[in-house]
Amino acid sequence: MPRGVKLDLEKEPSLKEQVITIPAPKTLPAPKMFASLRKKAAAAKVLERARIAEIVDELDGEPLYKKLKRFVSADALTLVAVCFDEDPMTSATQAVFRENAAKVLAGLDAAAHACRAVSKKIAAASREEFRYVPKNRAGVELLTAGDRYPAAVLLRRKWMEKGKSAGFIGGQACAALADAVTRGLAQNETVVTVAGNGASRWVNCRVRIGTPVRDVLAAGKLLPETSVVAVGSSVNGRSITNLSEPVTAATRCIIAMKGLPRRKTLPCVGCGRCERACPRGIIPWMILQQLELEEPNPFRLFNVEHCIQCESCSIVCPSGIHLVDAVRRAEKIKEGRENKGC
Amino acid sequence: MLKNAVPPYLKSEFTVFSMTRSTLLAQLSLLVVPILYYGFRPLVVAGASMLTAVACHVLFCLIRGKNISITEISPLVTGLMIALLLPMNVPLWLPCIATAFAMLVAREPFGGFGRNPFNPAAAGLVFVTLCWPRLVFSYFDPSRASSFPLLGAGTYSMVSSPSQVLKQGFKPDILPREMLWGNFAGPLGTTGILIIGACGILLFLTRAAKPEATLCFLGAAALAAALFPRILCSPLTSVKYELLSGSLFFCSVFLVTDPVTSPRTLPARCLYGAFAGAMTMVFRWLGTYEQGACFALLLANAAAPLMDSAVFRLRGWEGKPNEE
Repeated sequence: MPRGVKLDLEKEPSLKEQVITIPAPKTLPAPKMFASLRKKAAAAKVLERARIAEIVDELDGEPLYKKLKRFVSADALTLVAVCFDEDPMTSATQAVFRENAAKVLAGLDAAAHACRAVSKKIAAASREEFRYVPKNRAGVELLTAGDRYPAAVLLRRKWMEKGKSAGFIGGQACAALADAVTRGLAQNETVVTVAGNGASRWVNCRVRIGTPVRDVLAAGKLLPETSVVAVGSSVNGRSITNLSEPVTAATRCIIAMKGLPRRKTLPCVGCGRCERACPRGIIPWMILQQLELEEPNPFRLFNVEHCIQCESCSIVCPSGIHLVDAVRRAEKIKEGRENKGC
Repeated sequence: MLKNAVPPYLKSEFTVFSMTRSTLLAQLSLLVVPILYYGFRPLVVAGASMLTAVACHVLFCLIRGKNISITEISPLVTGLMIALLLPMNVPLWLPCIATAFAMLVAREPFGGFGRNPFNPAAAGLVFVTLCWPRLVFSYFDPSRASSFPLLGAGTYSMVSSPSQVLKQGFKPDILPREMLWGNFAGPLGTTGILIIGACGILLFLTRAAKPEATLCFLGAAALAAALFPRILCSPLTSVKYELLSGSLFFCSVFLVTDPVTSPRTLPARCLYGAFAGAMTMVFRWLGTYEQGACFALLLANAAAPLMDSAVFRLRGWEGKPNEE
């Protein structure tokens, strides 16, 4: 039974155009520069370069060098560059991959060298994306993401079930690492998708990190009815009210929305869709049942600590129940119990 | 001015409303053939029952101070289901009483839709079966001339239904092949076997209902019919008569699939269906009444949470191990 949720992808409008560059505000400092590394630099040097270049992996916002350091200890590791976007409206990493696949591959090579990975893979949105890979690249295997949200988490799950160790890094982080190694550039820019039904133009923008969200949104020609702006994802992003917040390296999209679907919440009907949607083995309906009891049994709240708040369960719930909220409450109860030593 | 919002910003199109709407439409389609044959009397029976259901729902909402929403169409499903499970020639007050019992005793006191442990339609039908068995099991003869005014009693001749004949230990004088078309004595909505089957397949394909409980229900009933035939005939003939007569097939498509009252794990749902199917046949064999499906379903409803617990006990309460 496939897990996750099938969502309608709306990536074409923003992929149609080339990536545009938003001029950096004058108040931001100039990007840092270093000497470029030799072609055959030692693994430790590449790691060190990832650290001083302050590269952040856009997949989860973790600094790249920390991630690679963790990977060093794993044996027979497969390094996977994630060159797609899980979010149905975002196409930032996909656009970076289409624009310069060679650079992403060079970054993947450097990262694989730094963490001594035995094999390298490129995970792309679909089979058609592979035509952007340069022809002479042997030794890199290709994966497809599948059409269910959250694709990267599901891909990881598939690997874990096979019992193989795999490390996942973002395509944009790969490109930034390639720049840091060959050109000696610190990570100073990122590609962000502007989309949503509140934006009349959907576009990928190359933005200097630290630019206020307002400047990026201007490229999307906002409609006056826009009432909600979400950063990070069109599914589970954080809504912001202060548009002078800066763009970070982990910002993959800025979504402008006119309004939100408002649904009445009904009691659980027991359809079991949430259980099938969860990529982390949580059973939300049972957690909901347990939370209605006076004393929830912590042993029945299993896997709640693994929740990644992808909102898959809340999307599919026909009763409109906010299940992620329930899982979060359950996690607190479980933590409280463990601290008491029961 | 920007507002704060809570994710998810997306919602799937599949809602409780769309789920109940497809069930309701499927049941309404069962009324088409009786209306073509007998005029608008079936519609009046169904309408009275549905009106009672809505009235009871509104009454309860007023008492409990809840908002009444027009997207809440599940009372209509309950009302219609009861009308379809009763013969067309019943006096109009009978489906109304059954529906009132279903809504006021079996559904609303437990917290309304989504919280009822027993299937309200089955409970309502069981209530009137126990109180007025003679009315519930008296069927008019569809092969003889009959006329039904919209409200009064009508003129018709009585006949025993195939399940009554089976109960008495005889072979019904109608071929199973002909029973598929629904032209035999039985409850209003349960004789159109082909239409019910088509509705079931449609509901399963659109994911409005899950097929496993239905399949296990029919499988268990067929197995019981084949192993212990009530009449002197080959096992296959016995299976055909048992499955096609009475409300068994209707219950397997519309009542057993109700997600609220059935277990929530797949193995437990299979067990639930099989248990209900086997109990239906036990009631047909040993019970006083010719129909046992609704009684069996209520028993299975009561056991449903237990079946879920048993599945988790076998699987381990910790669930499937996660990656980390």
